[in-house]
Amino acid sequence: MKFVDDSQNLRLRLRIIQALVMVLLGALGIRLYVLQVVNGAKYAEVAENQRIRLLPIPAPRGVIFDREQRMLVDSRPIYSILLSREDTKSIDRNSLIPPLAGALNIDPQILRERFEQVKSQPAFESIMIKEEATPGDIAWVDAHQLEFPAIRVEQTPQRRYPANGVLAHVLGYVQEISPQQLEDPRYKAKNYKPGDIIGQDGVEAVYDEFLRGRDGYRKVIVDSRGHIQREIERVEPQSGQDILLTIDSDLQQAAEDQLKKSPQGRGVIIAMDPNNGEILALASAPSFDPNLFSQRITTKEGRAEYAALLNHPDKPLLNRAVQGRYPPGSTWKPLMAMAGLQQGAITIEHSNLVCGGGITIGNRFTRCMGGNHGAPNIHTAIEKSCDGYFYRLGLKMGLEGIQQMVREFELDKRTGIDLPHEIISITPSRELKAKLSPSDPEWKDIDTVHASFGQGQDVITPMALLRAHSSIGMRGQMFVPHLLKEVRTIAAMGDPNRDDFRPARPSRGFDRPQPRDLGMPADENAVVVQAMWSVVNEAGTATGIKMAGFDIAGKTGTAQVVSLGKEGSEHKDHSWFVSYAPAFKPEISCVALIENAGLGSRFGAPSVRAIYDVYYSKKHGQPQLPKENIAMKVR
Amino acid sequence: MVEVLKKRTIRDFDWLVAALAILIVAFGVWEIRNAQPTETYWQKQIVGLGIALIAMIAIAFSDYRRLVELAPIFYIFGLMLLVVVLVPGIGVKVNGQRCWIQLGPLGRFQPSEFMKIPVVLMLAKVYGKHRTGALNWKEALKGAVILLIPLALILLEPDTGQAVTYLPLLAIVLFLSSVRMWIVAAVLAACIVGTPLAYAVGVKTGMLHGYKLERINVILDPESADKRGFGYHTWQSMVTVGAGGVMGTRDSEFSQSSLKFLPEPHTDFIFAVTAETTGFIGCMLLLASYALLLTRLITGARRSRDRTGMLVIMAIVGGLIFQIGLNVGMAVGLLPVIGVPLPLMSAGLSSVLATFIAIGFAISVQLRRFVN
Repeated sequence: MKFVDDSQNLRLRLRIIQALVMVLLGALGIRLYVLQVVNGAKYAEVAENQRIRLLPIPAPRGVIFDREQRMLVDSRPIYSILLSREDTKSIDRNSLIPPLAGALNIDPQILRERFEQVKSQPAFESIMIKEEATPGDIAWVDAHQLEFPAIRVEQTPQRRYPANGVLAHVLGYVQEISPQQLEDPRYKAKNYKPGDIIGQDGVEAVYDEFLRGRDGYRKVIVDSRGHIQREIERVEPQSGQDILLTIDSDLQQAAEDQLKKSPQGRGVIIAMDPNNGEILALASAPSFDPNLFSQRITTKEGRAEYAALLNHPDKPLLNRAVQGRYPPGSTWKPLMAMAGLQQGAITIEHSNLVCGGGITIGNRFTRCMGGNHGAPNIHTAIEKSCDGYFYRLGLKMGLEGIQQMVREFELDKRTGIDLPHEIISITPSRELKAKLSPSDPEWKDIDTVHASFGQGQDVITPMALLRAHSSIGMRGQMFVPHLLKEVRTIAAMGDPNRDDFRPARPSRGFDRPQPRDLGMPADENAVVVQAMWSVVNEAGTATGIKMAGFDIAGKTGTAQVVSLGKEGSEHKDHSWFVSYAPAFKPEISCVALIENAGLGSRFGAPSVRAIYDVYYSKKHGQPQLPKENIAMKVR
Repeated sequence: MVEVLKKRTIRDFDWLVAALAILIVAFGVWEIRNAQPTETYWQKQIVGLGIALIAMIAIAFSDYRRLVELAPIFYIFGLMLLVVVLVPGIGVKVNGQRCWIQLGPLGRFQPSEFMKIPVVLMLAKVYGKHRTGALNWKEALKGAVILLIPLALILLEPDTGQAVTYLPLLAIVLFLSSVRMWIVAAVLAACIVGTPLAYAVGVKTGMLHGYKLERINVILDPESADKRGFGYHTWQSMVTVGAGGVMGTRDSEFSQSSLKFLPEPHTDFIFAVTAETTGFIGCMLLLASYALLLTRLITGARRSRDRTGMLVIMAIVGGLIFQIGLNVGMAVGLLPVIGVPLPLMSAGLSSVLATFIAIGFAISVQLRRFVN
């Protein structure tokens, strides 16, 4: 100290300050040691995690073709608006709902649901705000980047289905996975996450695992606002496998047209190759537009459209081919005849049974709708659709015989078609009787009579009926009906040595192609086939649809709905026609059910003929066109 | 005489202090460039260093006693600037604080940085006389008034961070002017006991709530604080510092600052950038440089020829160590976020210039330790 100082120990005070400086810097040094040396790796990881994002690249879904490789369903790129959750973590995301819903025309409820759903997901996953953004929406997002930095526009694939609801029930549709599905263990096992677009119905659902691609991803570096600075890694997605359906678009279109023209616009037409079970056409009317689910369901209008579909009295979402059950009416008779012969209730030589214009059971007379046929043999009974004959055949076979027939043709099971939600036909049984009429639970002869001509409490799906009849045409070979022709192969993606390697996926066909042999004796089978041929080609009930050079074998049917009413009105009978052709070497089988159309086969048979016309012209050139007004000739 | 003075000047000029200060600024320039590679802050900082060097040499070679004599003039001039900066139209408002005066293309000028020098000189003038015995209340009051007038004006801007850095100037001068030790001890004890007590009482009574409480809680437990809200700055700064590890990271393109995770990387959080790029080793070197610089200044104060010189240097030391502590403490998540620049490192002409002027005074005191 150069100057004299008498005040309190200045030297010590300077030392104290010097010491304080060192203590303070030392303390900071210790803190730095903890942060950088002890926990350095941890913070480096935090820094890395906040700058690196994995952004999924959605894989294109497989394309669906018909059997002739005509494209039915594809995905086209659309612009979607997404919300980065990274940028909205600190704010109440729900506060974004009113401005976004208003400006982009989104249902606020949908936004709320989506915001809720993603809560359990990793923070870097974005939320889909709106699919199929319009140029106006995109301009709005651009213009409001400052106000809403978290929203962005991205290209995503969108499923596109044929117009006018063609093939809708077969194709099904894709839709975002629902919260209920996310909770479902079956879906959980497949690692779906919120926002995933999955097949929800039809072949889209059944073959979802093939149609789905494997998403790729981009590893990018982002800044604090989530803006991408650079891509450091890119793993391309593996597209989904393309699928070839067994559907023939020409036949399908013909079927759809027939149903549209039908009196109520309601019904089913199915065409199948009986040689292997391939479905050539499957139309159910009324139909719906699957694009509603893949494109519009998140809009207010789309939700209203969906609600309207659900509440529509004609149930457009119902696939009548596998979810509709109808009394088989007279189409039941060839099955009864086949079983009667097999079970020995009648024989080829001695097949005559009395018609008598009806039958008296107890004190009640049940008449034959066709009048009195005398005592026809099995051929005439089928050809003329004699009810009286089958009352007596049914009584000879008994309930047990009818039930054996049901088992034989697998009418008590699902057909196994590759469509979801197939229901099982309801067939005669004592239990069913007891359940349906508790006041009169005993099975009586009159019940056997009703069960024997397809007018009882049994109801059959059109698919099951067509399959049964096709097996008669095929001399006892019964196939599982199916829509899948081929799942196409897809090449491997990526490096086999990495865990994100996606191996090639092989081609495959339908998994149950083997027929079941019903063991029909050839001579007995020939009797029934011959009779069904006569229905169309001789003096039967469907001669109006006779085709030159193409022998149709078939059976008309009338399914009583409630009671007789006016033609074409609500409670009119359903009109059936089930058939295969050519009769003695079938290439195609076809069933039509026209709802509430009216008497017998006036509508069913001509509809089927229209399908055969298309089939024939494709295969053999122009068919001989039916004469005018063929419906008048059919009864 | 001129010859003698020159020789002596060169011999006694504190080269080490000057060299350390320049070295730290140079290091700072490099880090500013790391923090904002696409901006021109680092080039401006070099220009600032040039101006600051000239100012430092000019001050170093002038007689600090003269300047202390003139302190009231500087003081009043400084106060005028602090008033002027408050006038809308002259004072530029940034982030809600009106603390800048635009100086043409040179950049902005921050009067509150420079006002520290007249305050130090005034305090040195008042307390620099030969003294006997302990400090009395009347004397202490004078110092308080000198400090409180500019402080009040700065709080009007409002710039709390800058205002806080004035407190150690008076504290250290009073301490060295023989405040009774028991008072010092009592104040320290009151702080140690009082702070947690005030926190507890504040939380209980609801006086401490909202963002103020949040900010304190962030410091108490940064890991579980809201890392996107109140805790964002602290958390990101800690991550940046920690990510530097032992050796620092070389990946400057994707650093915390260039990806903008770290806010204000070239000014308030320049230490975090340094920590990220140079790691623990770089941080230790920087802290050691500060330690060496401050120790050297304290040595200079001890050797000072008179009390005035000693007080000037020590007030400067007090201001520097306080700012270093605040800034680094904030960067490592020990203190709440306050906008205080890191002396010699942070980009900013005002800060560098004011610091070099202060060091110029310290050198001037040193130079004249043998002169009568």
